[in-house]
Amino acid sequence: MNVGVIVFPGSNCDRDMFHVLSDVFHMTPQYCWHDKPLPENLDAVVLPGGFSYGDRLRAGVIAAHSPIIQDVKKIAEKGIPILGVCNGFQILVESGLLPGVLLKNDSLNFMCEWTNLTVENNKTPFTNKFELNEKIPIPIANGDGRYFVDDETLKQLERKNQIVFKYDQVVNGSSNQIAGVCNEDGNVVGMMPHPERAAEPEINPHDNKPSSLIFESLLKKIGANN
Amino acid sequence: MGDYRVHVTIENKPGISDPEGKTILNDLVLKGTHQSVSKINTAKMLKFTITENSKESAKSKVKEICDELRIYNSMVSVVTIDAFDA
Amino acid sequence: MSLEPHELEELKLKIGRDPTSTELQIVAAEWSEHCSYKSSKKHLKILPMDGPLVINEKGYDSGVLDVGDGYVVTAHIESHNHPSAVEPYGGAATGVGGVIRDILSAGTRPIALLDGLRFGDIEKDQHAKWLFKNAVKGVADYGNCLGIPTVGGEVEFDECYADYAMVDVAAIGFGKKENLIKNHAKKGDLVVLMGGATGRDGIGGSQFASDSLESENRSAVQIPDPFIEKLIIEAILEARNEKLIHAMKDLGGGGLSCAVSETADALDIGIEMDVDNVHTRESDMHSDEIMVSESQERMLIITDSVKLVKFQDICNKFRIECSVIGHVTFDNKMHVKKDGKTIANISTDVVANATLLDLPSKKPEYLENIEDKKSFPPLSDYSEVMLKLLASPNIASKIWVYGQYDHEVGIRTVVKPGYDASVLRLDNGKFLSIKIDGNPKQCYVNPREGAIGCFEEACRNVVCTGAKPIGMLDHLQFGNPRDPEIFWTFLESLNGLTDFAKDFEIPCIGGKVSLYNETPKGSIKPTPVIGVIGLIDKKPLRVQKINTDDCLIMIGNTKDELGGSEYSEYIHKFIGGKCPAVDFSESKKNMNAVLELIETELIKSAHDCSKGGLAVAVSELCMTNLIGCTVSLDDVPGDKMDADKILFSESHSRYLVTFERKNLQNLEELLKKHNVSFKTIGGFGGESIRFTDNSKSLIDLSVDKAQKTWLNSLKEMVMHA
Repeated sequence: MNVGVIVFPGSNCDRDMFHVLSDVFHMTPQYCWHDKPLPENLDAVVLPGGFSYGDRLRAGVIAAHSPIIQDVKKIAEKGIPILGVCNGFQILVESGLLPGVLLKNDSLNFMCEWTNLTVENNKTPFTNKFELNEKIPIPIANGDGRYFVDDETLKQLERKNQIVFKYDQVVNGSSNQIAGVCNEDGNVVGMMPHPERAAEPEINPHDNKPSSLIFESLLKKIGANN
Repeated sequence: MGDYRVHVTIENKPGISDPEGKTILNDLVLKGTHQSVSKINTAKMLKFTITENSKESAKSKVKEICDELRIYNSMVSVVTIDAFDA
Repeated sequence: MSLEPHELEELKLKIGRDPTSTELQIVAAEWSEHCSYKSSKKHLKILPMDGPLVINEKGYDSGVLDVGDGYVVTAHIESHNHPSAVEPYGGAATGVGGVIRDILSAGTRPIALLDGLRFGDIEKDQHAKWLFKNAVKGVADYGNCLGIPTVGGEVEFDECYADYAMVDVAAIGFGKKENLIKNHAKKGDLVVLMGGATGRDGIGGSQFASDSLESENRSAVQIPDPFIEKLIIEAILEARNEKLIHAMKDLGGGGLSCAVSETADALDIGIEMDVDNVHTRESDMHSDEIMVSESQERMLIITDSVKLVKFQDICNKFRIECSVIGHVTFDNKMHVKKDGKTIANISTDVVANATLLDLPSKKPEYLENIEDKKSFPPLSDYSEVMLKLLASPNIASKIWVYGQYDHEVGIRTVVKPGYDASVLRLDNGKFLSIKIDGNPKQCYVNPREGAIGCFEEACRNVVCTGAKPIGMLDHLQFGNPRDPEIFWTFLESLNGLTDFAKDFEIPCIGGKVSLYNETPKGSIKPTPVIGVIGLIDKKPLRVQKINTDDCLIMIGNTKDELGGSEYSEYIHKFIGGKCPAVDFSESKKNMNAVLELIETELIKSAHDCSKGGLAVAVSELCMTNLIGCTVSLDDVPGDKMDADKILFSESHSRYLVTFERKNLQNLEELLKKHNVSFKTIGGFGGESIRFTDNSKSLIDLSVDKAQKTWLNSLKEMVMHA
């Protein structure tokens, strides 16, 4: 199971994601540098968190112009699972692969804390092992994590089942407490919280099983495809 | 008395580095086809609406506010203040 | 920047001629207190620097500890006080950047940061609030962007820092022993400068506040660029993996002058360089400015011409500028050229080794009667005082601060901020526990005992996670050393730290001295900040939630030591009284006992008693577990004293241990075996924090109310004018 972990200048959760994919869930991840073409044998792609290009101009916007994003768009059309976490989510939004924008948190501060998510869509490649409304204790760490869409788009997202995760309480002022969304086909998922920081018991003071299901869902999906 | 719009532009002093402007120039603009651009500086703008006697006093009042409240830090930044009729 | 007249004479004598203007700039930078440690170096030698785990290599800016299985941990501490006092955001951020490059220089990846921040009274002083807010943002923006977790630290407010800021940053690195850079160079090797362009920012460094360099278009304050620092880290580590680096040094205070002269001196070589080859931000920079600019995010690398090609490829990959500025010679001279003409040619030994001073010292007059005890008027409402302390800026939860720091990135953080010490997992299955502590209030009342107290407190904190202290970092921050009274306090603190380090066999693996910390109102209080690194071979104490019916044991004696306590100073506005003193043998016994308790897995948590004393320590347990408890002051180990002394004295070597009642007997036996002073002082349950004295209720405070006050107080102070 080949998973591409895309690395932009300033990505800083790439090594964490790589560790979890390989050492915890025994997939075969490979780093993909932003100005090289995406390898062709990938079963899934992850855009990890960090500060690509130092979050300059707007988080994710410069990385969204990288050559590799064109390749990501192509494989997204083929239905290959793509997960963007934190800055990866911001990049997916800025590149038009996912709807909405991510604004500064309403506290105006960077926020690093544990939150609880509820699963709103369990049909995606990253949530297929969850029950609907299942809770996930998981940390956030971002300055621009407030997901925003206008009311019209929000209705559409709801109608098309594109809301994947919500916070179980108000965290940063995001529209409808949205923490993660997917594209219409459901194969591209973006989320602000960090599943790679919650999938091992040693570093998760609450319960690491729910976050593990995000990766196990991918295993199930890829296994089903193969 | 009248209403004036006063624009406060805060940017780094000319000799001081502007990493954000440099990244936008090198990693976004120059990577595209826009090779005629040679420099980008970032700045922050605050738009005041203020009631004062004249355009001049509107400007000086806003400058006073900026200095008093440390709206910019004179160690690293300069401000440019422009006033317009509302 | 300039030399004092006698220093100029000395320089002339040493080189046998008048120095050139460039030489003068270079030497002035290198002979400054900041770079040369001329006032303190003679005395620092007394600290024990060696130990079984310590690895010493020439030219390291950080300490290195062998943590087994082929892995090493590196550590260093730095401050950025003067710059942060005028531009807190940039000053604090670049402080983080500097210490990280020290870790990187050894060839290790930075894996954690801790920061100690100190300001004036934020309850009354708007300026202190502004400094605090922006310094926190500076640390956050820099560390978060790099993806290096800020896992711990401390925040303190004291009027002695009015109009000033103390920003200390400690960094921890981790790597394979085989990847450590063994600094070396051979003749003909190339000297490369990589990283950000050299600009006019930061010229004059620590002296800038009074310097005329401040002008319309430039600034002595450095502009932080965490993005390029992140790229430098990745590029350097890639080059390290490819074995392309012979020697490496970060550019810090004194810029190129110091980096070049110190590298040459440490490696016993000469370096010839040309300022025209330095990549600069502006084309019209004077060569002297290039030599002393303190522009951030730059590294000096020594490599050879074959490896250079690969090194340049890596720099290109990360789009980092790098320029070959010179080469290695064997005449032990620092030879600087411009347009092919020599502008400085001076022995590195002269540049890098300022004449060390032996400054006079004298016991300050203020200390004569300061430790006299004072009786305070009896408290009418202990609960109210308790609540007031929990809301006070020094005791209130610092969640508003560490919530802005990414403390999870790197997925090593096992014990997160908010506990006694933070714990990181290492790749060899072991764990590292780290903490920094300072206590200027106690250090002012007694510079020796206060400094020892900071050291012991940091040890207690790591012990509470199950770690054995293996190394110490000291950061000695004082006022003007030319004042004999201030210098005396420096020596007292240093002697105290040395005695403790020797007795406990904890080597000092790195440190820094920051002098001339003066505010408009005078010198700061003595502010040594001590970092302790502990190692856990098996597993750390996994703190468990306290439930109803769990018990509380207190280990260690409470003494009549209210000097420098939060209670004396915040509640009674009194500076003075008996400073808590560490009894070395009691301290050691208690540490060993707690470590064994943790190993037996019989306890739920261990917590040290420090700021605010027993009362605050118990409240912290209740507030973080949202459970009440009842503590009987009659049972607290130690002499019979007034209730306020038992509650608020900040005596050292004390621990609170929580556990399930069924383990009581086993625990008691174990503690008896260790021959420590201990007693079960209370039990958990209910919804209020209760202290009784002679069976009478003294404090009865709702946990919910206490917790809300404690958690929100600091944020409210910052947010509301």
